[in-house]
Amino acid sequence: MLISVENLTKVYKTYQRGSSFKETVKSLLVRKPLYVHALKGISFGIAAGELVGFLGPNGAGKSTTLKILTGILYPSSGAVDVMGYTPWRDRKKYVAKIGAVFGQKSQLLWDIPPIDAFYLNKAIYAIPDRVFKRTMENMVELLDLKDVIRKPTRQLSLGERMKCEFIMAMLHQPEIVFLDEPTIGLDVIAKDKIREFILEMNKKGVTFILTTHDLSDIEHLARRVIVVNHGEIVFDDSIATLRRHWGEKKIIAVSTVHPLPDLTLPGITVTKRISDYQAELELDLAVYELNKFIALVNKASTIRDLSVQEPQIEEAIKVLYKK
Amino acid sequence: MRNNIRIYLVGAKTALASRMAYRADFFMSMLIMLLVEMAAPLITIMIYQNGATFPGWTMYEALLIQGVFLLGKGIAAPFFFGIVWNTIERVQNGTFDLLMIKPKSVLFMAIVTGFDAEDLGKLIGGTTLFTLALSRLPMPGLGEWLQFLLLFLLTLAVLFGYGLILAGLGIVWIGNFRVYQIFESITNFGLYPAAIFSKPLQTVITLVIPVAILGSVPATVLLGRPSAGTIGAVGVGLLFLLFSLGFWRWMLKKYTSVGG
Repeated sequence: MLISVENLTKVYKTYQRGSSFKETVKSLLVRKPLYVHALKGISFGIAAGELVGFLGPNGAGKSTTLKILTGILYPSSGAVDVMGYTPWRDRKKYVAKIGAVFGQKSQLLWDIPPIDAFYLNKAIYAIPDRVFKRTMENMVELLDLKDVIRKPTRQLSLGERMKCEFIMAMLHQPEIVFLDEPTIGLDVIAKDKIREFILEMNKKGVTFILTTHDLSDIEHLARRVIVVNHGEIVFDDSIATLRRHWGEKKIIAVSTVHPLPDLTLPGITVTKRISDYQAELELDLAVYELNKFIALVNKASTIRDLSVQEPQIEEAIKVLYKK
Repeated sequence: MRNNIRIYLVGAKTALASRMAYRADFFMSMLIMLLVEMAAPLITIMIYQNGATFPGWTMYEALLIQGVFLLGKGIAAPFFFGIVWNTIERVQNGTFDLLMIKPKSVLFMAIVTGFDAEDLGKLIGGTTLFTLALSRLPMPGLGEWLQFLLLFLLTLAVLFGYGLILAGLGIVWIGNFRVYQIFESITNFGLYPAAIFSKPLQTVITLVIPVAILGSVPATVLLGRPSAGTIGAVGVGLLFLLFSLGFWRWMLKKYTSVGG
């Protein structure tokens, strides 16, 4: 395994603060400590070349896990081995081999062009001239950034800035790249370009660990999903299994020639009744078979149009988040 | 070492380029820095021109002490004291993490990314005052220059120590920019000859809190009349540097153990 995490826990101390005037004044003198169990003994392994999505609601422990894996935080207990390094203990040697993109924290310099920031990274990572030039040109072409890298960062669109963040994180050719919400706030075209880039780099052998709230990132990129909630792993498997986790359900949109029959039957949940002739519903195949449903509606109302879709991944995630 | 110097120079170049994006503001800031720093020497000149003195010190001797003090700060401010603002701001807005994902010490990265170009105004002011005051005094001998250079290196080391303590405090006292004002208030005692203060205060600023080492101690060596307690001040300065390095590491450990 490239990354091996065993029984990782993180407890940190914060302070309770009241909202009333009296409590605020009191908190100036006495503060009540509060111990937050951000991670409660999580374990997982990631092989070289994997592209793993980390999901979880706010405060679930995703960022804490990512910060421990990037050597920023010490855990309270547990063991982590990444490429033979313990991130927080061997930080300097270790981080030379990883890259990180934080969607909400820029490594670029606001008033000067991204290329100047790239040169700063070149010096920090001691990247030889030839390697730097080749890597930068290659990534600039992949991300379609030819003229962009020479404009001041403040003049770039959010999408262009994020693409430059990727170059910044990958100029030193890291073996693993950690992505924390890399597509936050981007338009569809920019998201697509970045996803293409990630997939291209992944094909070349770079391992990606991605945390996001954008489930379409997960659907487009990750072959494996780890869902964290309340500091524990509640799911660790493929996207297909994640969909099935919600149950063997289909989303059906139906319109008919005659008014629809009464559909209050076990296994059928009408989610939207558009008119007497048109509705959207969820069909639980374990309870009510699809062919029986079609036969029922066609016989009673004559089907004009019918579409069957896979459930949205959001529904499966909601089930896990509620656990 | 050579690689670190190269990184520092690239960092300084990018910081200067960033600052040059707003040239008018940059030059105005430099000028304001210079004028603010010159306030104390101008007051000193006014005092002497009105017949008052710092007992036992001529005007140019007093100005030399202030020149050394401002020269020290003029070197520290642009080249390494930026760790204070850089750390406080980065901890507050969450970008301190970005320094920790670079394969260098966090302190070094805080220095590289904290180069403060507009503080070069302080360096210009300090150099001018030092040169001007020295030109009006008997030229020191080689031995005095050597002793001065060693003590001035310690001045810079002590200023670095102050920077480490203030930056370290910025890690735990989130967004507390007032720490710099406390530093300014304490170190301003270094603008004047230590001998003009009462004996207990002289002891405090020489042997307890290293303030006299910032101006009075190295300048008086250059003037050929070393301050009382110079050797003690050297010891205290070195201990202070060690303490501040330990303090920074302790605060950094506190940062890395807080939650995400």
